[in-house]
Amino acid sequence: MMSKEKFTLHPISAVINFVKVLKEMILPLVVVIAVNGFGGESGGWTSYIIYIIYAVLLVAMLVSGIINWKRFRYWFEEEELRIEYGLFVKKKRYIPFERIQSLNYTEGIFHRPFGLVKVKVETAGGGATKEADAELTAISKEAAEQIKKEMNLAKNKDSDLLDEKLQQDELVVEQRKPLFHMSQKDLFILASTSGGVGVFFSGLAVFVSQFSELIPYETIYNEIIMFIRFGALLIALSVFLVLLVAWLVSVGMTFINYYKFTIWIEDKEIIITRGLLEKKKITIPLSRIQAVRIVENPLRQLTGHATVIVDSAGGSLAEKDEKIKLIPLIKKEKINPILVQIFPNYEFEANFTRAPKRSRKFFYRLDFLWMIPVAACVSYFFFPFGLFSLLLFPLSFLWGAWQHKTAGYWKDERQLVVQYRLFSRVSIWMEKKRIQAMTEHTTYFQKKANVSSIMTTIKSGVAGSATTIQHVEKADAESLMEWFEPTRIALIDIEKEQPL
Amino acid sequence: MRQEPINRLSEKGLRVWRIYGIIQTLIVFLVGIGVGVINYFTGQYIWLYIVDGVVILLMGYLLIYLFPKIRWTRWRYEVREQEIELQHGLFIVKRTLVPMVRVQHVDTEQGPILRKYDLSSITISTAATSHTIPALVTWEADELRGRISVLARVAEDDV
Repeated sequence: MMSKEKFTLHPISAVINFVKVLKEMILPLVVVIAVNGFGGESGGWTSYIIYIIYAVLLVAMLVSGIINWKRFRYWFEEEELRIEYGLFVKKKRYIPFERIQSLNYTEGIFHRPFGLVKVKVETAGGGATKEADAELTAISKEAAEQIKKEMNLAKNKDSDLLDEKLQQDELVVEQRKPLFHMSQKDLFILASTSGGVGVFFSGLAVFVSQFSELIPYETIYNEIIMFIRFGALLIALSVFLVLLVAWLVSVGMTFINYYKFTIWIEDKEIIITRGLLEKKKITIPLSRIQAVRIVENPLRQLTGHATVIVDSAGGSLAEKDEKIKLIPLIKKEKINPILVQIFPNYEFEANFTRAPKRSRKFFYRLDFLWMIPVAACVSYFFFPFGLFSLLLFPLSFLWGAWQHKTAGYWKDERQLVVQYRLFSRVSIWMEKKRIQAMTEHTTYFQKKANVSSIMTTIKSGVAGSATTIQHVEKADAESLMEWFEPTRIALIDIEKEQPL
Repeated sequence: MRQEPINRLSEKGLRVWRIYGIIQTLIVFLVGIGVGVINYFTGQYIWLYIVDGVVILLMGYLLIYLFPKIRWTRWRYEVREQEIELQHGLFIVKRTLVPMVRVQHVDTEQGPILRKYDLSSITISTAATSHTIPALVTWEADELRGRISVLARVAEDDV
C-alpha cells in the first residue's frame, strides 16, 4: 500500500547530537578548569585525571552520537509514522498519523548550509508521557515534505474530508500572504523594552545618589556621610553596569530569536516562523486554540504596544501550560484587523463592565493584613529608617486601586472577555465552548458588600488555566453563571421559539 | 438569587468529618503537650500553660464541631441533564458549574474510614479541572457515577 522504504537521518545529526551533549557539559568543565587553574599548586598527575575523564567522556559522546544516528530509522507503514532507534536497546515507536497534531520545523545553524530541518512531531497528548513525541534531528526539506504528504494522505482517507481538503487547498494559494510581519523597528522596540524595568530603576538609583548632593548632608557627620555617599554611588553604579550588560544580552537574544517574525494561516493552522541563526517554524492547529490574550505591560502600554498570546491545548508535554506568543509586539490599533482574520469566530470589540466602586477595598485590604505586623516589626527594630516601611501602605493602596480600575468583563452569546491586571494589563478572550468549568466565589465580606468573584477555567497545554473576574456585582456574577448554564440557555431558547 | 443546588451529602459524612477533626485535634494536642513539656523544663510561665490549653480547646471546638458543621450544611450538589452544580466552602462559598459536555470521566473512591461508614467520594474530571463530591452513600455514588457518564455521553456540543 505504502512505501516501506526506511529512511535515515542526515549524517550531520551525529554532529548535532554531539554538540547538544557538549553544551550541557561545558559549564561543569569551565568550573573544573577554574577551580584547578586558580587552585595554585598542582598535585602531579592527579590534577590531570579530571581532564582525562573528560576527554574519555567526549570521545564516548561523539561515538554515541554517531551510533545514534546510524541506528535511527523512520518509515511509513499502515498509516503510521514508525521510528526505530536506540544505542544499546533497540526501541521502536509507532505514531498513528491521525494522532499527530502538528509538525514543527527548526533550522539551526548546522541545518542551514545543507538545506535540512529538524522535525518535531507533536501528538495529542492526553495523559501520555513526554515519550509520546518524536524528534527527527536532521532531514532534508524534501523528506520533511514527504512526511507531511504521507500524513495528509492518511488523514484524508475519509472521502468527505477529502473534498473539504481540496477546497482548502484552493484557499491556501490565496492565503499564502503573511498576515503579520514584524518590522525591524518593532523588533528593536521589543528587544529594548524586554526586561527594561530593572535597568530603569538602577539608572534611577544612580540619579538619586547624584541628587543627594543637594541635600545638606555637610552639616551632619561629614566624614561618615562622605563614605556612605561614595559607597552608595559605587554600588548603584556597579548594579547599573551589571544590569546594563544583562539588558544588552537580552536585547541581542530577543533580536536573534524574533528576527523575521512572520505568521501565516494555512490549512486551518497558524504557522509562525522566526529566528536569525536558528529558523523556527511552529504550527498551531486553529482547532486547538483555547483562548486569546492581549498583554500590555505598563511600559509598553505607554507607547501603545501590546503582545498577543494564545493558549493551546495539548502540545509539547514539557510545559504545563502552553502559552504561545502569537505576536510578540504590535501597535494596539493594528491588533484587531489581524486577529479578525485569524479568528473569525471571535468578536474583538469589547465593551467592559467594570467592578463597582465599593469593591475597590477588596483589592488591597487583604494585603494590609500581613503588612501591618511586618511594618510594625520593621519600624520597631530599625527605628528611624524602619518607618519607611509605612510607605508600603500607600503603594499597595495605589496598586490595588489600579487593579480595581482594570478589572472587568464583557460577554456576548458565544464568548467571554476578561480584563485584569497584576502589573501588566491582560485581556483574555474565551469562547464559551472552550470554558471547562466556572466557579463563583463569595467570601463573608464580599457577601456583605454584595459582590462576587467568578473563576473560569480553560484547558491550556495538558493542564488548566484559570482566570478570575474579581469582585464584580453579585447580579453580574449570577448573570455570568446563568450565561454558562446549559439548562438555562435551553430554557431561553424555548421561550424565544414560542411566540412563533 | 439563583437557587441553591438541591442535594445534600450523606449525614454519615458529617460523622466522618468529625473523625477527621478528632485526628487533627490529636495532632494539635500532641504539639501542645510538647510545648507544655518544654515550658516545664525551661520557663514555667503560667500564661504559656493557659495559652497552650486554650489553643488546644479552641482547635478542638473548631476542628471537631464547628468546621465540619459549616462545611456539611454548605455542601450541596445537583446533577441535571445538562450540567452539574456544586456548592461548598468553609470561609469562601464556591459555586461551580460544569456542563455535561465537558465531563471526560467520573471516578468513585473509598478510603478506609469512608469504607467503614459505607461512603464513597465521587470525582468528576473535565479536560482541565476536577471536582470532588466528598461523602455519598456508596450505592448512591455508584448510581450517580453511572448517570453522569451516560449523560456526558449523550450531551452534545451545540455551540
